[in-house]
Amino acid sequence: MNNPFHSVGQNALRLGLAEKVRGEARYTSDLKRPGLLYGKILRSPHPHARISAIDVSAAQNAPGVHAVLTHLDVPENSIDADLKVLDPVVRFVGDEVAVVAAENPPAAEDALRLIRVEYDILPAVYDAAQALADDAPSVHAEGNLVDGEKLVVSRGDVAAGFAAAARIFTGTFSTQVHGPVGMETRSALAEWDGDRLTVWKTSRSLHTHDRQTLARVLGVPLERVRVICTNMGGGFGNKDEGRLAVLVALLARKAGRPVRLDYGRAEEFLGGRNRQSTRNRIRIGIAEDGAPQAIELTTVMNAGAYVSSGRNVTRRVGQGALYLYTCPHARFEGATVYTNRPAGGSFRGLGAPLGHFALEVLVDQIAESLQVDPLEYRLRFHVPLEGQPGQRVTPPDQMLPDEPVEGGVPFSSNGLRDCLLAGAERIGWREKRRPNGTMDGPRRRGLGLAMGIYKGGVGREAQAEVSLNPTGRVEVRVGIVDVGQGSTTVLAQIAAEVLQVPLDRVDMIMADTALTPPGHITAGSTTTFSSGSAVKLAAQNARNKLSERAAAMMDVTDVVLEEGQFLARNRARPGLSVLQVMEGLPGSSVGRAELKAGSSDYIINSFAAHFVEVEVEMDTGRLRILRYVAAHDSGRIINPRLAENQVSGAVLQFLGIALREELYLDERSGVTLNPSFLEHKSTSIVDFPPVEVIFPAGPDPIGPFGAKALGEPPVVPVLGAVANAVANASGVWLYEAPFTPRRVLQAIHEQGSARS
Amino acid sequence: MTEQHKPVEKTALSLSVNGRQQSIQVEPRTTLLEMLREQLDLTGAKPACERGECGACTVLLDERPVHACHLLAVQVARRNIVTVEGLAERPGFQQIVDAFVARDGGQCGYCTPGFAVAAYACIRDNPGADAQHIRWALVGHICRCNAYDSIVAGVLEALKRVP
Ligand code: FES
Ligand code: FES
Repeated sequence: MNNPFHSVGQNALRLGLAEKVRGEARYTSDLKRPGLLYGKILRSPHPHARISAIDVSAAQNAPGVHAVLTHLDVPENSIDADLKVLDPVVRFVGDEVAVVAAENPPAAEDALRLIRVEYDILPAVYDAAQALADDAPSVHAEGNLVDGEKLVVSRGDVAAGFAAAARIFTGTFSTQVHGPVGMETRSALAEWDGDRLTVWKTSRSLHTHDRQTLARVLGVPLERVRVICTNMGGGFGNKDEGRLAVLVALLARKAGRPVRLDYGRAEEFLGGRNRQSTRNRIRIGIAEDGAPQAIELTTVMNAGAYVSSGRNVTRRVGQGALYLYTCPHARFEGATVYTNRPAGGSFRGLGAPLGHFALEVLVDQIAESLQVDPLEYRLRFHVPLEGQPGQRVTPPDQMLPDEPVEGGVPFSSNGLRDCLLAGAERIGWREKRRPNGTMDGPRRRGLGLAMGIYKGGVGREAQAEVSLNPTGRVEVRVGIVDVGQGSTTVLAQIAAEVLQVPLDRVDMIMADTALTPPGHITAGSTTTFSSGSAVKLAAQNARNKLSERAAAMMDVTDVVLEEGQFLARNRARPGLSVLQVMEGLPGSSVGRAELKAGSSDYIINSFAAHFVEVEVEMDTGRLRILRYVAAHDSGRIINPRLAENQVSGAVLQFLGIALREELYLDERSGVTLNPSFLEHKSTSIVDFPPVEVIFPAGPDPIGPFGAKALGEPPVVPVLGAVANAVANASGVWLYEAPFTPRRVLQAIHEQGSARS
Repeated sequence: MTEQHKPVEKTALSLSVNGRQQSIQVEPRTTLLEMLREQLDLTGAKPACERGECGACTVLLDERPVHACHLLAVQVARRNIVTVEGLAERPGFQQIVDAFVARDGGQCGYCTPGFAVAAYACIRDNPGADAQHIRWALVGHICRCNAYDSIVAGVLEALKRVP
């Protein structure tokens, strides 16, 4: 692709990486303050119980202990509708019961053992379907169905669509519990200065979540609360809940000294937020020629004990079914259900990878039964640039949602076809792929593919400030957190592009509520799109001011900026360089922007097609990934090297989830059985071949410099692509992820006889 | 009942950290990682599992990579510890830093110091390592960002750059 830009589209080096390699970058748990105390949490051993008595006197009197808090000592104000600061009812094994602060971590741990708690044990429920039964134990007083109703989203009339369909295909697909497991565990440090509070925290949302929650729950005016995230050791859509920050602030207030509390690894697995399990029933009705006429997906999502962002997780399960294939009638129904499992929450891709798994495998089954190559089927029926048939529902002047449902609205850009063709070409689909189940021998190889559609990142309120300083440096202030994905670098590139200055002139100031304008949560893969648009506009505003200054300095009425030089309108040289004009400023010149990025004319979505070659060991059920090609339309790629790293990392992360990762819970005790790296195996460096990443699509007309979302889309097609490759190699369909040897072998035994 | 809290006696410990002699009082149960991070404020070695499963806490013990979380501080009395901060003062390490940056060998960076210490030992011991060799040399290190392909590229690049 021809690159007309000097900074955008370049492989700029990741800002801050050198400090990270040298071990100088400070993460929350690396921080110390004078007089620092260490916090620890007492967690419930019971899945569901009411605390009838709690005695902390021994703990309080132990040497080195400065504060102990239980539900009797904390403010009434809730953190979320279903989450108190501390609760006399505990709802999962690992739920927070009490906290202590002491001189050092071992003293704090000793103190936990001195707290006496008496519990009245309550009946527990772990399975979402069982939790919906009338006689199920209530996890929360309002009932186990979150919000008291199912979420229903639809287009057209599915009943009519199915009635008119020539054939109907169905399948039920399930997924298990996924731990995001950032290498850095959760941590927070709180320090009071009189009635002013500073909290350093692992967080992906300082402004919109933590600061607001702290102020509201503690009853402190917002302007006296400052929240900072110095560096974040992995976000993956996680680390957003508010309990930790509030507890640490309360401990620090009671102790009169700063307190830091770091989760251990097992606590992170239990007390963090995991994507809980789902059961997804899908039905697709097709016409004689194979065209989808009606698609319906029904999901039951286990929310665990507290829902946090679980509603959005559920909504996103429906995305593929609602929109990936041209289809007049589509319906999604999602129930989000409380159980006594660890609290659910969001993880990269939210529900989208789970719904896409069901959709993309059923589509391969349709193609097989029509004796059509699944690539051809998708090339014929994937949703085109024009979007879905039907009537626009969103009023014409309103911004379109980027989780689309309605028809009659085009996409801003749609690179599905490019991704399908380029990915197929790269993996050698047309030469190599044979019909499903036609391989033989003890080790069978096959090719699979799956597509993905995902939010393009619109709709978050974003602000930015760009100051041009007489020192010749550019300061960019944005309130968001770089959770490790590299947004610092990408936003700096955008500012450098607009101002036509070298990247090393740009200083990024982020993730500190005292130094930045309000910023959105790092979620929905929206940073480049939303904050990128804000940085671009703020930089343009700063540039306009600089242009006026340049014109005055050059004594002309109007100037143009070309290759870092302000020139008179007639382009007479010499002009003045941007840096010369900045150095002539009397003080800082600031450009600001506040916007909500998006479009009222177009749906902005990102697209992908993944291709994988697997080998199935028929005797053991073991899978080996031989090749993986990920083709993505995320518009213009601002930094190809960082983007490739991000896509490759996302795919490798989800290959682990496809093949192996799962948190097990013992349903007699409610205990999570494998909360460690040894027993919950994340992808290692020797498990999979290098991921081949390609970006075959062009720029988007709306996004900043043509960019669209990228962080989550690469996880969306992985489960489906692998399952389809297994079906191609072995003739066996997989309905439950992860595809462990046991599940693969079971499928071979159950289906092998049926198909041979 | 053993619930009465008894203050734990501290032990005096001397060892070399990054080439400097240190005398430190520690509780016997203090791990090397905790001592380095909380008492000496050397936070380059990271806690991520604290049971020898991930490599984030890797330091050199008498020049060999070890998990600092899996040793008690008292076990390394009179020995030589070098953390990533100490490596940063050595010739040859800057090339590793540059190579990691050039090939984007990290995303969030939390696992990165551990990888860098291991890469240093790998390069020193196997100057002719290829990609497969590097992967197996680093196999105990988890990167949840899964920046593995870039990390391998970074170490290969460092092999070229380190004299
Ligand atoms: S923290 Fe030491 S190996 Fe994980
Ligand atoms: S770079 Fe994030 S864990 Fe490795």
